Amino acid sequence: MIVPALIGGLPRPVSLSKKLEQYYLGRLGEEKLEEAYRAHTKRAFENLRKAGIRVITDGLYRWDDIFNPFIRFVDGVEVNGLFKFYENNFFYRSPVVRGELSLRDNPIPEWLSVALDLKEEVYPGATLKAVLPGPVTLAYHSINEAYKNLDELVEAYAEVLRELLKDLPLELVELQEPALAAELSRATKEKTDEVTPDLAKAVIERLARVKRIWVVTYFGTPRVLPEGVILNVDLVEGSVPQEYRGELGIGVVNARETKMERRDRLVDRIKPLLRKHGKLYVTPNTLLDFLPESVAWRKLKLLGKLGGE
Amino acid sequence: MELPILPTSIIGSYPKPRWLLRMYSLYELGRLPKEDFEEAVKDASVSVLREHERAGIDIPWDGEMGRSEMTEYFTAKISGFRFYGPVRVWGNAYFNKAAAVSKLEYREPLVLEEFGWVKANTTREIVKVPITGPYTIAEWSFNEYYPSKEELAFDLAKILNREFKALEREGASFIQIDEPAMLNHPDEVPMAVEAINRAVKGVKVKFGLHVCYSNYHLFADYFDDIKVSQFALEFANRNFRDMDYLKKLTHQELGFGAVDVHNPRVESPEEVAKAIRKVMEYIEPERLYVNPDCGLKLLDRRIAYQKLVNLVKGVQIVRRELARSGKETVPFRRSV
Ligand SMILES: [Zn+2]
Repeated sequence: MIVPALIGGLPRPVSLSKKLEQYYLGRLGEEKLEEAYRAHTKRAFENLRKAGIRVITDGLYRWDDIFNPFIRFVDGVEVNGLFKFYENNFFYRSPVVRGELSLRDNPIPEWLSVALDLKEEVYPGATLKAVLPGPVTLAYHSINEAYKNLDELVEAYAEVLRELLKDLPLELVELQEPALAAELSRATKEKTDEVTPDLAKAVIERLARVKRIWVVTYFGTPRVLPEGVILNVDLVEGSVPQEYRGELGIGVVNARETKMERRDRLVDRIKPLLRKHGKLYVTPNTLLDFLPESVAWRKLKLLGKLGGE
Repeated sequence: MELPILPTSIIGSYPKPRWLLRMYSLYELGRLPKEDFEEAVKDASVSVLREHERAGIDIPWDGEMGRSEMTEYFTAKISGFRFYGPVRVWGNAYFNKAAAVSKLEYREPLVLEEFGWVKANTTREIVKVPITGPYTIAEWSFNEYYPSKEELAFDLAKILNREFKALEREGASFIQIDEPAMLNHPDEVPMAVEAINRAVKGVKVKFGLHVCYSNYHLFADYFDDIKVSQFALEFANRNFRDMDYLKKLTHQELGFGAVDVHNPRVESPEEVAKAIRKVMEYIEPERLYVNPDCGLKLLDRRIAYQKLVNLVKGVQIVRRELARSGKETVPFRRSV
């Protein structure tokens, strides 16, 4: 069985980014902005239904990057300057860890409840999952000024995430974990410290006892293979490790290039994996944020068509 | 031709006057005729050029008043590119990332007109023409046509080479190639170097290369291979720390970034002077130019101006010290 699925968010529609601009300038009230979020999320769900995507997210329209605003809701973290996200012309605000981490009151569960209601209204057949940054990727992208080493920081982030997971109104949670596959680029900084792979695995498996976890990796082949989760692997820039036996999602369409894939070639690529795993989720290889909105939707429609295979 | 020692210059962009930004949005909405928009750009260009000159900058530019963005401006003028819509760069900031959908060809001049206007209006002998480099344009575009990024970058190099030759004919003497993406993929740096070398081939003007917010230790291994006479790099943003890689800069000049463009605090002249004294421990003054870290466009206009004023004042402090040992001018060197 092939199940088309979304990972991460959708490109923020121009009409929504214009509203945000107005909001930042103080020309649009909080309520109107909230209305705009809901209207756009609803439209996204309608389009995902038309495209035939079965497992969906709320499009992350309220998010600036995979870390923000989550890190704004963590005590002990200060949000700092812009850093390059791997080798992309895309920048995230980095967390600076200044003290012991703990979860603050935050609106994320409420945002997801709102999304869940909208989904029930326009696309009840789909499964909605939450999206959060994973502890390992959070640690690698932090400037660590408080914890002895990265391993301890991973543990601290995992604890914060565990608290948040318990409050979420959804059973399925995606953890963005590119750091399990991608090398931090030498392009911006030299790597200084590493997360122990066994620890990374254990920490994620522990989170998988709170909710059903979908671990999304990209920009390489995952070097850590947690058990009891759905693991998403980027087939454009990596491959599925031979020894992996668990549930599998595969990133088959390239979200960093506008060129459209050929459906027959994708099918050829998927077949052997389908034989081995029986059930497969097919997804973009990474965040659709790297594409113009129109192209992102074209790629999602292509994924949707694979669902009939 | 001679310049005062430690010639001062800019990197490129400068805050657009607020009224000009309004013209941009009216023009985008179709509520301003093209001629009026172009006139506005030219007027802003002269204002900013004067502002650079008034601050005492030896080698000015017009702050890129006519450019909305640093790749879109070029890709829109090259045939073979198309636009699908904006792509996020960070937060709520977007740019129109082009896609190469057929063979890229030179269709029209890219910066020739800009240069002509600045040249006609400046009181200085030399201006610096900043232009985005072949690798960065390739890296910041989608590629649907070329079998590899290398072929895309090399075709862009060919197009830029043609523009550089035209600029030389029109009297340009100093071109700065901007390659902020050059170190994005460590294993592609040799290809980026080759693209730059192809772009400058056979053009007899002074070439600078600006690379910012990247790992300069990685960059330094290529200094000798790149056929430019100057590297304009940022230092203030890193608090002038970690400058040892400069030992590998043995013959080319350094464009020294002495003020931070991401921080609204205006550095004092004495701070600038101190930073220059520090870099002189690595590079002799005859091979030093002084400029801001990067384009100033994200700052408030008054702050950007004050940063340039203090940059020049700081340079003047060090110039007085150098004058005591008879060092007062340097030749404008097209090649090294
Ligand atoms: Zn720069």
